[in-house]
Amino acid sequence: MSEPVDVVLVDDHLMFRAGVRASLDDRVRVVGEASSVDEAIRVVRELRPPVVLLDVHLPGGDGGGGAEVIRACVDLLGETRFLALSVSDAADDVVAVIRAGARGYVTKAITGADLSAAVQRVAGGDAVFSPLLAGFVLDAFGAAAGDIATGDDELDRLSAREREVMRLIARGYSYREVATELFISIKTVETHVSAVLRKLQLSSRHELTRWAAARRLI
Amino acid sequence: MSSPESARDDPTGPATPVPSTPSGAPARPPLRRPTTGRRIGGVAAGLAAHLGASVGVVRFAFVILVGLGGVGIALYVFLWVTVPEGDPYALDDRPAHLSRLVRPAAGLAGPVAAGRLGAPRGSGGPGPAVGPPPDGRVGAAVRTLPVTDIAIALVLIAGAVVLLAVRNGAHIQSTWVVPTLILLAGTALAWSQLDAGQRGRWRSRAGGRTPVSVLRLVGGLVLAGAGVLLLVGQEMAPEILMQSMVAAIAVLAGVALVLAPWWLRLVRELGDERAARARESVRADIAAHLHDSVLQTLALIRARADDPAEVARMARAQERELREWLYDDRPAPGTSLAAALRAVVAEIEDTRSGPSGEAVVIDAVLVGDREPDADTEALLQATREALVNAVVHGRPPLSLYLEVGPDLIEVFVRDRGEGFDLESVPSDRFGVRESIIGRVRRRGGSASVESKDGNGTEVHLSIPVRASEDHAVRAAPGQPRADDTDPVKER
Repeated sequence: MSEPVDVVLVDDHLMFRAGVRASLDDRVRVVGEASSVDEAIRVVRELRPPVVLLDVHLPGGDGGGGAEVIRACVDLLGETRFLALSVSDAADDVVAVIRAGARGYVTKAITGADLSAAVQRVAGGDAVFSPLLAGFVLDAFGAAAGDIATGDDELDRLSAREREVMRLIARGYSYREVATELFISIKTVETHVSAVLRKLQLSSRHELTRWAAARRLI
Repeated sequence: MSSPESARDDPTGPATPVPSTPSGAPARPPLRRPTTGRRIGGVAAGLAAHLGASVGVVRFAFVILVGLGGVGIALYVFLWVTVPEGDPYALDDRPAHLSRLVRPAAGLAGPVAAGRLGAPRGSGGPGPAVGPPPDGRVGAAVRTLPVTDIAIALVLIAGAVVLLAVRNGAHIQSTWVVPTLILLAGTALAWSQLDAGQRGRWRSRAGGRTPVSVLRLVGGLVLAGAGVLLLVGQEMAPEILMQSMVAAIAVLAGVALVLAPWWLRLVRELGDERAARARESVRADIAAHLHDSVLQTLALIRARADDPAEVARMARAQERELREWLYDDRPAPGTSLAAALRAVVAEIEDTRSGPSGEAVVIDAVLVGDREPDADTEALLQATREALVNAVVHGRPPLSLYLEVGPDLIEVFVRDRGEGFDLESVPSDRFGVRESIIGRVRRRGGSASVESKDGNGTEVHLSIPVRASEDHAVRAAPGQPRADDTDPVKER
């Protein structure tokens, strides 16, 4: 096993921070904690951890929560990666934090082992998609309606393969299982997921914003 | 016109439009002017309902009172202006989005519910900023006011008064009649505005300030002003009339100037008060909800701390309910397949437990939505069977995925159990097989069970979307599931 990944834990609830800290296994080491937007920006700038576990809803700052923290640390995004960790199911929360630059989104119901694996994956530069986030993506890009990209450079639509990967993740498949199912390597799955994340962040698809604002589904 | 005192001396005096207090069942319906079954302004009908008398008797009493020097008219107009419009027999005239939370409270926390019930109703309407009133209930209570009818009624009343006066020997000059009529018409127009403004408060947060209402007010003022001028200045020369008119307008403008700051402050304070009331009502909603559900669940969890499965189940049920309350849009029953499926998931999580008695958690990801019909109902039932099967025979975590496409609806139910070979399923599970696979195939869909060695089982159901059918019509009957989307029903 390689060196544990250093993380900074940002959440305004002391009890939750203690719970996460206890549930993480030895692949992850918590080097700092913060409980508000301003404190988080200060701690992240000071410690420059490879991964920040970031709650979506945070007090302080200009009221922008986790997305505001990421925007304030945008110059660090090369070395520090943000993994959003939230209890919220609201689509606008998810989309806001992802578009600000988070590398993934997991819900707080995640087990310690899964969270540790997700932290490692994010530290390695990959994106982490929970089934819920994959469902959001499929919904937002209209992939269920058969709106499939034909070229690689299209930002507003998913390619057929990306859609397949998203569907399998939404069905509860792990990256390894997706790879087995589609007869591709895990690395390829990770590439597809990262591509989808990029589209989610950069897409100007107007439905995406409207959808995020208007729709709040679980 | 009348002085308010004359009306207050009347036996019906105490029944001024104070909304009934909600503590306890009201002994009699509140004094409201019903929108249906009214002849002029609904005053007689409302009064009859309030007093428990027959409408005919009340109307007759009014006619008699009109004969007594016009007291009836004064009383009628006074009540018309002061009594709010509404259905006196309506048990709860608050909008549906506020009544949502009172239902669970009624059974569990009487005092809280009663206290809350009072707040919005006592304020004579919902807070303006709470949200858009749902069209159904408020829309039914609001009816366009028959302005022409009112005008005709007033003209008739005026005619009656004139005739009465003539019979009593008054000498009526023709030059009096036209100005009086103009004055009356103007007053009627302005008062109909008042009535409409009251309804507007229900409908919009702008306080009913529509172009039509402004026009009504201005028209009413101009007419009334002209009527007064003609009445007062009958024998004056035109230039003197002009002069006095200018003087009157100047005085009015001066008064308006003096009163403007006071008036503006009053309006602003009213707005602030309404906003505060809306906030208070939202806060009370949240407090009641937290009290009724979350606190009680927490107390239950503490009491059952020795039973981990039960604690997990209660926590999960409460989490689901709170989420629904916080994030969901609560689609109308029978309009959302996703909501129906969520209700199925909730029911299974609440009532089933795993092979070793542990609480059930189903990770549901739902993409797209549509109106349910008979086909989706079959799919829903098959999904339910598949979920139950996964709970009983599989191993967690359980995943559910629904995708509603333009021409195909797909459902995947996955567990991480040992998996089984469909051909070798024991005979006792044949019923399950039939209830999952047969159900879907009969609807022209397909169903398959895929087992991956030691890596769980996945049931895949899909049915085609029939394009040319009217789903709204077909969805209406036979949709028992959809009603269960109400998160509080089972509490």
